[in-house]
Amino acid sequence: MEKKISKLVITLTVIGIISAIALSFVYQWTTPYIEEHQAEAQKKAINAVLPQAEEVKEVEKAGQTFYEGYDSNGNRIGVAINASGPGYQNVIELMIGVNINVDKIYAIKILSHEETPGLGARINGDEFKSNFVDKEFGDYDVVKRQAKTEMEVEAIAGATISSKSVTSIVEKAIKQIQSAYGGGA
Amino acid sequence: MLKRILYDFKNGLWRENPIIVLVIGMCPTLAVTNTVQNGLAMGIATSFVLLSSEIVISLFKKFIPNNVRIPSFILIIATFVTFTDFFLKAFFPDIATSLSLFIPLIVVNCLILGRQEAFASKNPTRRAIADALGMGIGFTWVLVLLSAVRELLGMGSIFGLTILGSWYQPMVIMILPAGAFISLGVLVGFMNVLKRRGN
Repeated sequence: MEKKISKLVITLTVIGIISAIALSFVYQWTTPYIEEHQAEAQKKAINAVLPQAEEVKEVEKAGQTFYEGYDSNGNRIGVAINASGPGYQNVIELMIGVNINVDKIYAIKILSHEETPGLGARINGDEFKSNFVDKEFGDYDVVKRQAKTEMEVEAIAGATISSKSVTSIVEKAIKQIQSAYGGGA
Repeated sequence: MLKRILYDFKNGLWRENPIIVLVIGMCPTLAVTNTVQNGLAMGIATSFVLLSSEIVISLFKKFIPNNVRIPSFILIIATFVTFTDFFLKAFFPDIATSLSLFIPLIVVNCLILGRQEAFASKNPTRRAIADALGMGIGFTWVLVLLSAVRELLGMGSIFGLTILGSWYQPMVIMILPAGAFISLGVLVGFMNVLKRRGN
């Protein structure tokens, strides 16, 4: 009996060790490519939300990474951060770029989400994202009709929860930026 | 011998097709067949894992004690799945993003463990290869067919290219989970009719 158990243990251990060795080679081989893609995606996202920025600097403030965009004359034209929050099915991650000189949003970009295809997934569409372009900071109202005032956001038909989630993530991100950069002063 | 191998290969394509006859591997079948690109990528990834693990397991079946065969199979399968996951993330990042957690979930696809248990652990390697290729292609073609129907009806496109014009009102339900059940049910029913005619 004892001999039998030791055989089982040895078999599983040997398979485990071989798997681990093989996978650590695969890991070493693929990690540089994976990191490259992530850095590229991050850079693209920053460019999308800070369109006029010529140069981007990473700044750590209060445990959060901020991306400061500067124009060709070295003036700070805006700040971007990653923000996330609960969506309808899973966490929604987005990148938001704001102009802290005039307290307005430049643009938002959805980085990842698992909203319903065809409905909530339209948070990634330009029609919905344009709600936030050039919007003033503040508390927004999500409305199920055309937005009439500056503080209203037009919800996606059939995806009110997804629309509200994105809006509250945006509000939260603005507060983070404001508290890090002195209340928009 | 050649006839035997050909028989094993053709087995998975039609007679014992994993999806429409055995009805196994339903999680990816229902979850990722909303676009043709996803369906095809999932089919190829699953086939790769199936083929590599059937080869390894049929080669080393004599060394694996019966009592620990299931954990051994899972370890071997998980190794190939992790490899696939890293590989897709590194070289096909778009596909990796759209399939996200369904790639790691190939580990628990009962099609793969089922073929190890039913076939690879009892048969010589060349027959295991034929079985894996047949089952893999059989799995893939049904996924592609299913996702083509769903993408066409649900979004009016195939492979992301718009086929049906703006006059077409997409049936959103087809790309939602309910659409997967409906189209799979119709497909299996249709195949059964075809089979009965054939007999």
